[in-house]
Amino acid sequence: MSRFIKGFSYLFLIFISFISLVPFYLMLTMSTYKTEQIFKGLPFFPSDYLGTNISTVFQSNFIQAYGNSLFISSISMAVCVLISAGVGYAVTVYNFKYKKFLKTFIMLTMMVPTQIGIIGYMIEMRSFHLTNTLWPMILIWFANGFGAFWMIQFIEGSLPLEIVESARIDGASEPRIFFQIVFPCIKPGILTLCLLIFLWSWNSYLVPLVFVNKANLTTIPIFIKGLANAYRTDYGAQLAGLVLATIPLLLMFVCGSRSFIKGLTAGAVKG
Amino acid sequence: MNSKANKKYTVMWPTIFIAPFVICFLIFNLYPILYSFYLSFTDWSGVGEKVFVGWGNYVRIFTKDKTFIKSLWNTLYIMILGFPVSIFLGLIIAAFLSNLKKFRNFFQTINFLPYITTPVAIGLVFTFLFDWNTGVINRIIEAFGGEGVNWLGNAKFAPLVIGFMIIWKCTGYYMALYLAGITSISEDIYEAAKVDGASTIKTFFKITVPLLRPITVFIVLTSVIYALQLFDEPNLMFNVSTTSIIGGPDRSCLTMVWNFYDVAFGSTARLGYGSAIATTLFIIIVIISLIGMKFMNGKEEN
Repeated sequence: MSRFIKGFSYLFLIFISFISLVPFYLMLTMSTYKTEQIFKGLPFFPSDYLGTNISTVFQSNFIQAYGNSLFISSISMAVCVLISAGVGYAVTVYNFKYKKFLKTFIMLTMMVPTQIGIIGYMIEMRSFHLTNTLWPMILIWFANGFGAFWMIQFIEGSLPLEIVESARIDGASEPRIFFQIVFPCIKPGILTLCLLIFLWSWNSYLVPLVFVNKANLTTIPIFIKGLANAYRTDYGAQLAGLVLATIPLLLMFVCGSRSFIKGLTAGAVKG
Repeated sequence: MNSKANKKYTVMWPTIFIAPFVICFLIFNLYPILYSFYLSFTDWSGVGEKVFVGWGNYVRIFTKDKTFIKSLWNTLYIMILGFPVSIFLGLIIAAFLSNLKKFRNFFQTINFLPYITTPVAIGLVFTFLFDWNTGVINRIIEAFGGEGVNWLGNAKFAPLVIGFMIIWKCTGYYMALYLAGITSISEDIYEAAKVDGASTIKTFFKITVPLLRPITVFIVLTSVIYALQLFDEPNLMFNVSTTSIIGGPDRSCLTMVWNFYDVAFGSTARLGYGSAIATTLFIIIVIISLIGMKFMNGKEEN
């Protein structure tokens, strides 16, 4: 590759990365300002108000919202990934009638926009007497079309069938093969899906907007949005809350970054 | 005995592994959509009797409801502003990154950060950036001698800001997907092109882009579906409690899902009419998906 293109691509990447980072960086610095100060100058350098902002956040319902969001995202993630991996395993390992139909069906479910059915979902949850719990925000993630599609792609592409065959000959039961032999083989795919489902459910906005009707059900996005009304418009506190809310995602992503990219690569091969 | 053992692997275990998905899908995803479809033929506020109105809601959507038509155009407009640029940028960044040895992980991580940021945060930070009086963008424009623009208060500019938010947020995601695709293209093909004396640019357009087609189809399809359901970004940007008018200046950022939300859960509680809007949106998305799937399947058969 010519030197010119190489130099140009570095410049381009630095420029793009800069644009990616600026709003992120501003969120961090602005969270250290007193609200009145944010608008006075360009908040490019951190100030000293972070402690107060954070304590404002903690005096409100923040811990409850944080706990709720963690609960919702952890359960959604665990169940969704388990169910999706089951589908991927079945499609790869077994030969059964309607397999082709099932694959088409799953592709269709991926295209089906779940939030479109939210009116029906609300009525359904009401008749299940779940509207005063966090479950409506969790159950909607269980059968995720993208997740199932993803696991089919990944397991088909990366699970050597000989392993399953020889485990069977050794007399291992199917659930045991699935959990103890297949799971370690498909770790990057599992981790990638975990990250995405956690991310999507953590950031989810429309569904909680419909279902959060009491302070003790609130999730992080709804809570932060509400901070504006609770304290005139305390932007400093809102931003400090957001910084705290982004931390778990950031940690997950940085720790899982390598696996995540590997998982994406293997899953996307067949697109 | 043999057929019995066979049945275990062709009926029993597949059913056990697939049943949770199918059952959960039917209960929590499909049933609500069907129930919404049923409600779309009624006039109902959530309590009291449902009044059956036949096709009335649908007739109203297409003949009387100017807000729905406007929200449809708004959604398409924002989609065209944001996604093509975002997908193209994602591809270019991925292509550049794939040629790098140093700093590849570093750039990749940084450019993925916007995608993991909570939409609430994006909305808030962009409100600051584009504020008329105090926003960073206008200050920069003024520093260069230009005149500040009322980004968020003008129906011409507000959709542009939403489009920019989408570009900022999604580019990193597309980059990651494309990069995954490029990495999986065999080195041999590039070696062969090099031997034949093809330039870097020619290699990119003649080899990389065509081989990435399945991923491009996947990305375009999923982003169209995502775009048709756009709600978070415009709502977080323009849903201010101080005004009663929704959808930003002149309702220019009122998307279809926001309109749907407002009808059903916002300023009114018309669940029947809201369901009709949702069903219409659902049908639009399914048609687009079927067309897209045809493209994807056509590729596999080749």
